Amino acid sequence: MAGFITIIQVILAGAGMLALVRAIQGPTLADRIVAVDLVLLLLAGGVAAHAARSGSELLVPVLVVVALVAFASTVLVARFIEWRDGP
Amino acid sequence: MNPLQLLGGTLIALGTALSVLAAWGVLNFPSALSRMHAATKSASLGLALIGIGAGIAAGSWGLVGIGVLVTTFLFITAPISGHLVGRATYLAGRVTDLQHDDLADCVPSPLRIEAADTARKSPLRFIALVAVWVLLWRDLSIGVLLGGVLVALITEFAGRVPQRTYTFSASGLSLFLVRYIWLVVQSNLRVAWEVATPSNEQISEGIVAVPLETRSTAVALLVANAISYTPGTLTIELTGDPLVLYVHVLHFESVEQVRADVAKLERLAMRALPEFTGV
Repeated sequence: MAGFITIIQVILAGAGMLALVRAIQGPTLADRIVAVDLVLLLLAGGVAAHAARSGSELLVPVLVVVALVAFASTVLVARFIEWRDGP
Repeated sequence: MNPLQLLGGTLIALGTALSVLAAWGVLNFPSALSRMHAATKSASLGLALIGIGAGIAAGSWGLVGIGVLVTTFLFITAPISGHLVGRATYLAGRVTDLQHDDLADCVPSPLRIEAADTARKSPLRFIALVAVWVLLWRDLSIGVLLGGVLVALITEFAGRVPQRTYTFSASGLSLFLVRYIWLVVQSNLRVAWEVATPSNEQISEGIVAVPLETRSTAVALLVANAISYTPGTLTIELTGDPLVLYVHVLHFESVEQVRADVAKLERLAMRALPEFTGV
């Protein structure tokens, strides 16, 4: 199980890299925030996988916090784009 | 390797595959809105499967509970983020190459939420609050339960939540839920298909205005959320008075087809919340 989880975490990290490339490339702010949002969700996936390997629930609240922060930050940036580029 | 670990491991592997799909789509899809399709549809189901799978593999019901909690939250919020970012991108003038655009001549009119007569106390909401509290603590001891009841009581009496009572139809709601889950699965398969066949010429996007039959904002919100999980569609804007849903379509064929798809969902949503069907 431990080896399997390590493979999963490496794949998730690789997916995070792909999303980060999009975050750096842009070209619009919307692309960047969608990509960063995805990186946060992938991070939460890695944390959940860690809990499956160790059986420890120490990091589990991180899942809830990451889901909340990802949503709040996306809404904030969407509002910002409307304020900056809107009529 | 016991059966629980096998099941949990399978779910984790599936969730990881979906996460990779989402990342691939976000990197390689041709336009800002099409990238949003991949992120909204695949990432939330991916994390949901990993979270619940991890709980099952670790044999920890507390972790499964947190997974279900986070999943519910994600499925409510992901369409909202998609809608907000999509609309902001559109208003910023960053959406080009549309085959069909109804949003260009849309008269913005804000959504009017039905006013609450009084701040009602709802026993269902009370139980839900206590349940969330217990799930967050991952512990069903008497202390945690009492703490939850205390916090829920304070929230109920201190918070002035505008509350409207809705009548649910249990059979209608479960029918809607089954349809919803089927749509989520279908749309993820669709994203997988798009990723596997990267022919960008095939993507012809459009934004279609869909007038809703219902007068109820609750039904409209339910439909707007479900549309973001329907294969190839994403809710961009919802105007009130009359209720019109603006849907971004990845493969635009005809206006009528999109409207028929939405109408089918709307009828299901109206059966789930039957109070408002008869205008």
